[in-house]
Amino acid sequence: MTPRVETAALGLGVLGAALGAWSLAAATLPLPDYYLPPPTAVLGALTDLTAKGILPTYVARSLERILLAAVTGLLVGVPIGLVLGMSGRVSQFCYPLLNFFQSVSGIAWLPLMLVWFGFGERTILVAVNYTVLFPLIFNTLLGVRSVPRLYVNALRTMGAPRWRIVTDVLVPGALPGIATGLRLGLAYGWRALIAAEMLVGAQGLGYMIFNAQSFHQTARIMLGMGMIGVLWVVLDYFLLRPLEDATIARWGLVQR
Amino acid sequence: MPPKIALRGLRHEYVNPFTRERVLALDGLDLEVGAGEFLTVVGPSGCGKSTLLGILAGLIPPTRGAVLVDGRAVTGPGRDRGVVFQEFAILPWRTVERNIAHGLEIQGVPRAERAATVRRFVELVGLTGFERKYPHELSGGMRQRVAVARTLAANPEVMLMDEPFASVDAQTRITLQEELNAIAQATGKTILFVTHNVEEAVFLGDRCCVLSRRPGRVKALVRVDIPRARRTWTLFTSDPSFGATKDHVLRLVREEVGGEESRP
Repeated sequence: MTPRVETAALGLGVLGAALGAWSLAAATLPLPDYYLPPPTAVLGALTDLTAKGILPTYVARSLERILLAAVTGLLVGVPIGLVLGMSGRVSQFCYPLLNFFQSVSGIAWLPLMLVWFGFGERTILVAVNYTVLFPLIFNTLLGVRSVPRLYVNALRTMGAPRWRIVTDVLVPGALPGIATGLRLGLAYGWRALIAAEMLVGAQGLGYMIFNAQSFHQTARIMLGMGMIGVLWVVLDYFLLRPLEDATIARWGLVQR
Repeated sequence: MPPKIALRGLRHEYVNPFTRERVLALDGLDLEVGAGEFLTVVGPSGCGKSTLLGILAGLIPPTRGAVLVDGRAVTGPGRDRGVVFQEFAILPWRTVERNIAHGLEIQGVPRAERAATVRRFVELVGLTGFERKYPHELSGGMRQRVAVARTLAANPEVMLMDEPFASVDAQTRITLQEELNAIAQATGKTILFVTHNVEEAVFLGDRCCVLSRRPGRVKALVRVDIPRARRTWTLFTSDPSFGATKDHVLRLVREEVGGEESRP
């Protein structure tokens, strides 16, 4: 067996054992059904909600919102981060500010945003975009600051104008920072999105698990939680990783 | 004929950002380099060799004194003076060929001409077959070859080299030195080459400039009278004047080091 297959077999074994233990606990422990439904009930919820079209719609809503935030974050946050990072004094001034706003997470903003933007799509979008944006600006700024001065000097001695230093050195040099910012931003944004959907209640996975709680539909809650985790793994594997593999990993800027 | 490079009464003072001490790196340095000359600069560590090179490159404005290239004052970096840096200054996100082409891209040289020039220099520095590799896939010696080729391809009138072979292994260094010698002979460029290695300085230089300890001034200029064609390490080291010249330069440098770290 190749190491890859061995790892896969081991993973499946552990997963199987965990599901077995869960089934056993659900069957033997003296607890009401809604307290700890067995894995089969979660599977049932999956087929049921898929057949009814609820799950695909909610998953699509949540993905739509996070991807929209990712695109706006990149379009807005990266240029801001680049400009701030290029100016020494401005970045010194902005550093604590960005740090501050990055730490006041989207979830902490939600009550205020509900007052300002009401119970609707607008609040969700503002909260998620906010949460994605700040880590992106912050890490793009750090990325620009970490580009070796030597590369800039090398270009200057080749007679490069300022814009050329930006496109050929600062932007590619900041990519590791941008990648970190996108990864962190999306991870925070994903959490903020679930929280916002719970509070605002306009479709999405957060709304689904919060709503299920009112009806003691525990299997649905667990299904929703599982989907939140699975979707993040998928997003990471099919979006973030390939982006990094084609750029910063290819250039030897990060070790794999 | 006026000199290609002239430094007059050069003084440079700066504040070390970590210790906040004022450092007088160069004081009263006068030096002239002729067109097509290969001048090597040696001196004890911390004597301001790299500062001198940075000033010539236009990256460091000197506190006082004149820096003239072709009689015109240097006010900043320019593509008439190409630099090969001590550390690897090629860009990790560009392949070997795109790094070498970079200077030409900046100059707006058309694609076809660029490709032809790049091919020529890839061959010259022995990187054929590695054109599509990224720097992290190359050895230290190969990376420094890319850096030399990048500077050469941009065709500057003056090449400024700051201990370019300091961080490659001894075997590779010997090869690179011989290659550079051949390139100097073939291109006839004016080269200013900074090093702390006396043998290297004597092997490469038409003249060898010994700097004093800080604050750096020109302590001596030693002519090396061995024709370029005879400068391969086997021929060169068997030349009787090599040993004498090397010992002479070494003695001058050791007087400045002052006892410690004086074993050659």
